[in-house]
Amino acid sequence: MSTATATANVFGSEVPQPAQHGQPGGIMRRLNFVTGLIGGLALATIAGVVTNILTPSGASTATFAPAAPDYVYLAVLLGWVIGFMAGMGAFVGPIRWLLGRDITHADAEYLAGKDLGWKRYWKFTTDHKVVGVQYLIMVMIILGFGGLLAMLIRTELGVTWAEVFSPSFYNSIIGTHGIAMIIGMIIVVMGPIANFIVPIMIGARDMAFPRLNALSLWLLVAATPCLISSLFQGGVQDGWSVYQPLASQGPPGMLGYQMTIIVFAFSTGVASVNLMVTTLTMRAKGMTWSRTPILVYGVFAAALMGLYAFPFYQYSQILAMSDRIFNTSFFDPLEGGSVWLYENLFWLLGHPEVYVIIIPSAAVLMEILPVFYRKPLFSFNFAVAGIVGVVALSGLVWAHHMYMTGWAPAVNYPFMLSTEMISIPVGFLVLVAIGTMWRGVVWTRLPVMAIYAVIFNKMIGGVTGIYLSDVPVDQYMHGSMFVVAHFHYMLMGAGLFGAMGGVAFYFSKMTGRMLDERAGSIGLWTAFVGFQITFGSMFVAGLQGQPRRVLQFDSLFNISNWISTIGAYIIGIGMLIFLGAIISSWMYGEKATSNPFGSKSLEWQTPTPVPLENFAVLPVVTEKPYDYGVPDPYQKELAAVDGDFDTQKVGSQS
Amino acid sequence: MTTTDIRPSGQPDEPEAPTNRPPSMHRVKMWLRRPYARGILVLTVVIGFLLLPLCWLLLAAMNQTGAPASPIMRDIEQTVFVFTLISIPITAFVFAVLVYSLLGWKHISGDEVPADQSPAIRSNTIGVVMWTAVSSLLAFFLVVWGLVELAQITANSYGTIPADEQPGDSQALIVNVTGQQWVWTFEYPQYDGITSETLYLAKDRPVYFNVTSKDVIHNFWAVELGVKIDANPGAITQTGVTPDKLGNFNVRCAELCGMHHAYMETGIQVLEKKDFNSWAREMGGGKTA
Amino acid sequence: MSAETHQPLSPTTGEPMTTIARRAKAGLWTLIVMDVSGTLALIISYTYLWSLNVNGGWAPPGASLTDAQTNAVPAKSSATFAADWPFWAIFGIVVLATIAMWFGYREGKRGNHAGLIVGAGAALLISIGGLVAQWMQISTFPFGAGNGAYASAVLLLCASNIFHFLMLIFLLTGIFNRARKGLINKSVYFQAQLMSYWMVWICIAFLLGALCTTFLQVSPNTDPAIFGTFQQQQ
Repeated sequence: MSTATATANVFGSEVPQPAQHGQPGGIMRRLNFVTGLIGGLALATIAGVVTNILTPSGASTATFAPAAPDYVYLAVLLGWVIGFMAGMGAFVGPIRWLLGRDITHADAEYLAGKDLGWKRYWKFTTDHKVVGVQYLIMVMIILGFGGLLAMLIRTELGVTWAEVFSPSFYNSIIGTHGIAMIIGMIIVVMGPIANFIVPIMIGARDMAFPRLNALSLWLLVAATPCLISSLFQGGVQDGWSVYQPLASQGPPGMLGYQMTIIVFAFSTGVASVNLMVTTLTMRAKGMTWSRTPILVYGVFAAALMGLYAFPFYQYSQILAMSDRIFNTSFFDPLEGGSVWLYENLFWLLGHPEVYVIIIPSAAVLMEILPVFYRKPLFSFNFAVAGIVGVVALSGLVWAHHMYMTGWAPAVNYPFMLSTEMISIPVGFLVLVAIGTMWRGVVWTRLPVMAIYAVIFNKMIGGVTGIYLSDVPVDQYMHGSMFVVAHFHYMLMGAGLFGAMGGVAFYFSKMTGRMLDERAGSIGLWTAFVGFQITFGSMFVAGLQGQPRRVLQFDSLFNISNWISTIGAYIIGIGMLIFLGAIISSWMYGEKATSNPFGSKSLEWQTPTPVPLENFAVLPVVTEKPYDYGVPDPYQKELAAVDGDFDTQKVGSQS
Repeated sequence: MTTTDIRPSGQPDEPEAPTNRPPSMHRVKMWLRRPYARGILVLTVVIGFLLLPLCWLLLAAMNQTGAPASPIMRDIEQTVFVFTLISIPITAFVFAVLVYSLLGWKHISGDEVPADQSPAIRSNTIGVVMWTAVSSLLAFFLVVWGLVELAQITANSYGTIPADEQPGDSQALIVNVTGQQWVWTFEYPQYDGITSETLYLAKDRPVYFNVTSKDVIHNFWAVELGVKIDANPGAITQTGVTPDKLGNFNVRCAELCGMHHAYMETGIQVLEKKDFNSWAREMGGGKTA
Repeated sequence: MSAETHQPLSPTTGEPMTTIARRAKAGLWTLIVMDVSGTLALIISYTYLWSLNVNGGWAPPGASLTDAQTNAVPAKSSATFAADWPFWAIFGIVVLATIAMWFGYREGKRGNHAGLIVGAGAALLISIGGLVAQWMQISTFPFGAGNGAYASAVLLLCASNIFHFLMLIFLLTGIFNRARKGLINKSVYFQAQLMSYWMVWICIAFLLGALCTTFLQVSPNTDPAIFGTFQQQQ
């Protein structure tokens, strides 16, 4: 055991170290996913049994259902979350801080997974690259789960002559599909790409708070069984927005949903803190804001929106849980509660959230375009302005989801105004994309081909959003399948396909292998074709007057639903092919070189696999990003005609 | 930069511009001479025309069950038509760029990182300014259209119709709508409080709905009349419309309200005023208001 | 901690502690934003429900101004609004704890290590007292969770207060302990500084709750609609 005046070699200099307590890593050497599972299951069982014993046998809830299943399930969930996190070692850091046993460099290296091999993916590892890969796995699991539920939904809607599932089960699968997809889409870029790539892209060794990084991931892992288990406790039997008071009529499964959100909100909150501080304070020397890649802006913006908005959603679920367990009446109108309170709290997150999904996906694409068109990003300042505009307006539009609730008819006017206004900064991002494609010679690799799918879907989603933003038109469209088709075009058509492009792009850096682009392309385009069929037909169903969240309907809607279901199966096949491409490439793909796409961005200047400390020497940035392209051949013509007056600036000036 | 007075051959002599700058039309013509500029413009027009039928097709889809049956629904359809129409130019332009990017400008395939060939354009002030101007104008138009339209619809449905604009029978019909799992009940307070599970209305007579719920949130959607409002437990919301077409139409519940949400539908019967009055009398309701 | 001739460095990354301090300060701001949103959610709930008085269910049944309350709750009840002064007393306790912590931080920054320890220790003890006081207030409320919207909103505000107190006690224990061990000192004092900033926000959170419960008691909506019908209450 070394004395307090020992030093260690930290990236080249000798730095005094605190006392080393035991081996590097201390108790963390013994903690991993298995101990987490043991801790979670043990505490869940104990909590469940104790609660069962303590609950009086005749106890009933406010809605006259037996209370014991509620209390026991809640206790099990709480026990699971706390026990799992304890077993993973999440509390070790705070306790060591409390006791004044600060970690040494050797501890930090152990925590970062140095020399641990594959085991580091199963531990509370702080290395942002490990966390990025862990997020990628979680994303595939969660989106896969949501996708499976989608197939069940479309099967029910396609079988128009019978009920495949009972109405209550159907109501559960639509709600669970919705929330699983929302969670998956929030993290699909912010998880793998923001964690793995962004620190390297800005020339840092890790994130600002590495242990918070591991915490955010493992909180997500803890939350996932809460959601899946809800299906086995009667399901949520409500839409993903779990409006009150319908939610309070639901079986105990609703508690699973609430716990999922409460835990997930901590996960994203902590991740937001980490991302924002990292991008604000850890950019490389010389990386001024005008030299910062656009992906960093996009990720920062999403983190900021998530930071201020997610607590509203979290509290809406805490209040709902309180209504259920303690018989408070936040949302029970009989006793002074208001359904509009729930809706406002929910949509205060619900709207910024869609930008949390879309902005990172758009930012990844703006990162990809210059590499494959070998052209600078068009009007970087405009891209930043678009992102800033969206963030600024994102908190001012939420009540366009509530036009038809009657809560405050007079405010429909200002919300219509702000909602129409937000189309302008979003349009800036489209301009930047097509401006980058303009006159560009495209290298037709999979990551960039996704842009065509994304922009196509984004235009359709955007225009249909304009209809919905108009209050009178919303009087027809709200609550119909038109809305469902619109948001699938935005979140899935633009968001998911963009994320797929991003994953395809960064795959080689993250996994060390090349993605099989042929299989990936077949998967992506199959899914794209299926997507148009499914949701194009769904627009028709909505226009015809089909409400949403119904499992049986007028025969007028039969044809549109049959077509949508066929399209959905095609999407399923396409997505499975894409997933298969990812998995098989990950396991058997050709080993990747360090910069297969010739990118000039910092993250591609590292070797693959990226070493633990990212950079042997921290880089210094001297140039603007996206330094591609040749001088414009039309420049001579312009110069000749214009004389001294030159409004089209070319070359690498801004 | 030296000034070289180069004019393309064939151009007649033009008066000297006050500055050094060539006239704008000249620059536009120069730009149009580039093959891609013409190609994209042509594509924009072609795609635009291909998209044009949507304006009518969208309405056709909405009108399959007898819509429009009220001025509000006509307003909605007109808005859908106009919004589609004005969205087409920008949409067609963006699609044209996508198409031209694959068919017009060069593309390279293969595993080798290609040499840089694209012009290093970091910005284009004209393009940015035009895009901002056009999108802002469009947004402004949408906003103004929407605000005016909403004010009109509100004026005609929330109890503020000026007397001289009320058609014929000057007394509006009041219907209290109650949603509950999973049935709609309509009460006519002006007719001794008779209730019905089908919504009976009189043609050309304005009707004001007071809507509430007895349990969870439902949503009262009179589909072909273009009217929709949540039925909230603990609150009374209002909407209104003047049906102007006879026939049978649909009420659907548009907010998930539990197990049988899908079946929470009922019918609307819009009758001539005298038929409506006979119906009311048959149900036991003399007109009390 | 050895004697350094230059600025202290972080043992894990080798960066100067001033850099680490800047980062931690940025992190604190983001955490405060999160907590502001959460607290606002509760304040919005309180004020919105107060303004609506749905079905006359805002006030606890025994304090209602209208004859018939809800369909389900009997009109005779002893549940009333809570007294004002405990909210302000607890707010005062939090302010005292904050002052103690500020004192400790300032003294630590000036080199008065004993002052740092005393300040942090006092803040910790006062916070424990605050936790006890808050618990006593909750257990002596003249209403229960099922007594309407006011009761619900107040209870959740107080639950949030309890949560804040627990967090304060954990953090202050750590600050106190680390100060005793010399890990917070004249050259590296950012954790005491950030703790002081955090506690200022906590004061604001408690203040917002006290303002609501004192000045927004009786609902302005005196004729709410009767649930399930189309009539107003008289």
